[in-house]
Amino acid sequence: MTDTAIAAAALGKRFGRRGGWALRECTFRLPAGRVCAVVGPNGAGKSTLLALAAGLLAPSEGTVTVLGTTPGEARARVGFVGQDKPLYPQLTVAETLRMGADLNPGHWDAATGERIVAAGELNPKSRIRTLSGGQRTRVALALALAKRPELLLLDEPMADLDPLARHELMGVLMARAAEHGTTIVMSSHVVAELEDSCDHLLLVGGGRVRLSGEIDDLLAAHARVSAPAETDLTPHTVVESRTTGRQLTALIRPAGPLPGDWRTGGRLSLEELVLAHLRSPEAPALAPADTDKPEENAA
Amino acid sequence: MTAAAGLPRTVLRLHRTAGIVWLVFVLGAVAWLVWLNEVTADSARAAVNSCPRDTGICEAVWASLDYSGPTGWISTLVYYSFWAVAAWAGGSLIGRELESGTAQLAWTQGVTPTRWLAVKLAVPALVIVLGGAIFVPVYRWAWSANRDLMGDDWSFPDVFAAHGPAIVAYGLCALAVGTLTGLVLRRSLPALGVTVAVMVLLNQVLERYREDFWPTVSQASAGRSEVPNNWWQTGDGRYHPPSHFWPMHLIETGILLAVTAAATAAAFRLLRRRTR
Repeated sequence: MTDTAIAAAALGKRFGRRGGWALRECTFRLPAGRVCAVVGPNGAGKSTLLALAAGLLAPSEGTVTVLGTTPGEARARVGFVGQDKPLYPQLTVAETLRMGADLNPGHWDAATGERIVAAGELNPKSRIRTLSGGQRTRVALALALAKRPELLLLDEPMADLDPLARHELMGVLMARAAEHGTTIVMSSHVVAELEDSCDHLLLVGGGRVRLSGEIDDLLAAHARVSAPAETDLTPHTVVESRTTGRQLTALIRPAGPLPGDWRTGGRLSLEELVLAHLRSPEAPALAPADTDKPEENAA
Repeated sequence: MTAAAGLPRTVLRLHRTAGIVWLVFVLGAVAWLVWLNEVTADSARAAVNSCPRDTGICEAVWASLDYSGPTGWISTLVYYSFWAVAAWAGGSLIGRELESGTAQLAWTQGVTPTRWLAVKLAVPALVIVLGGAIFVPVYRWAWSANRDLMGDDWSFPDVFAAHGPAIVAYGLCALAVGTLTGLVLRRSLPALGVTVAVMVLLNQVLERYREDFWPTVSQASAGRSEVPNNWWQTGDGRYHPPSHFWPMHLIETGILLAVTAAATAAAFRLLRRRTR
């Protein structure tokens, strides 16, 4: 097992020869064993990124390495749940799990799959086409978890679930990560949904990686400050600034100690950090030194 | 539970209904042919023979239609069943999987896209070949068993194809073209339509030029005083004697298998370029 779950180098994907770039110049490294949130607005390239890591798409440029090898080679060790939770509608729940056993010889954990399905009080004889969206999500997660993956890629996994099921299945995922050291990558556009569970962040916007790193490091690298209007904020990196009357408030990346007359806000929340970056597409990208080689790429 | 059997078993489970329909269709056609020749033929001939030889009108002469009608229908239906194969391969086998994303479900299990496609093609191909292997011998026997009750001959499009491997090649070709179209269009309904259109066109072209696949003979060049009934007249004094059946039939089969191979190769290349 390598200590890197996913490493991307100048990764890009364009759909069609003249189509726009869904993802471009993405360079980041996700250490193994983390629970990583992939956050970004709709259409930011989150799904494309996950599909590239799962080997479902071939990159147009750059490379992505998964568990130390190519996505194709890592296939058997990676679980994936797509945004639409595709399942065969004509199969029953039990047949779907049997299909998982058939297609994953040697590393199928039938008990895990059955337990997750049973927790949702699903009848194994129900056809998939009769299930609700949330029930299908549950079956899809059961299929992905029973595969005993080292890396689990989940695209908007919780979108269809009611709060109770969301809480329960998040618990299952976290237990899995804690017990087996499974790396979990999940995308969402609802930041609050991920803040408590995740320790790593990948912020994607406009097809580029805007922020990448441990959430604690990212929060520590930023500060919200208030200063009199017209204050020169250099040499600090300004993510976002706003002047109201004689007051200037800004989210900055301090380059050194801050002047004593600037007031700093309290603890920055992940949501504030994410929103500030999404509101300011021109703010430079940041990937703090969570790796051996700190990677910085200007967006 | 072995690694090799898992994917074919899944493919069979997914396409169970289509498999059952195909099985019922082929076995039904075969059983009907046997019934027609073992039961219907004798009673039809008895009815025809009951007509007085010299009077003009006798209702019973139409009794042979009880035999020749269904026999003709069976070969027509089995011949044109490649339309159904085309629709199914483009729409259900591949197009729907890509449209709904279930193909990606398979590819994120322990199965590579290439192996997925290989098994998706191999299982139905095997079923089509098996169906042909059962139908063609029975049809050849049935078609020649009671010639006196039949009004067709070997130049009829369906009779020509159903007498050998060409009828299987049509099915395999429809399967391959449907697969390629499904992969290209990634939507089930357009893939279904395009595949059927392509196969109908290909079939029409082959039927039209079938007679040109082998040089014809004339009455003089064959050294015959008169032309036998079972010669296929193609033009002004030009004929295919029955001995031309196999070369013509095998050339058509070869063309179909070449198209099948090309479509299959293109499908694999496309899938390999698109995924990792």
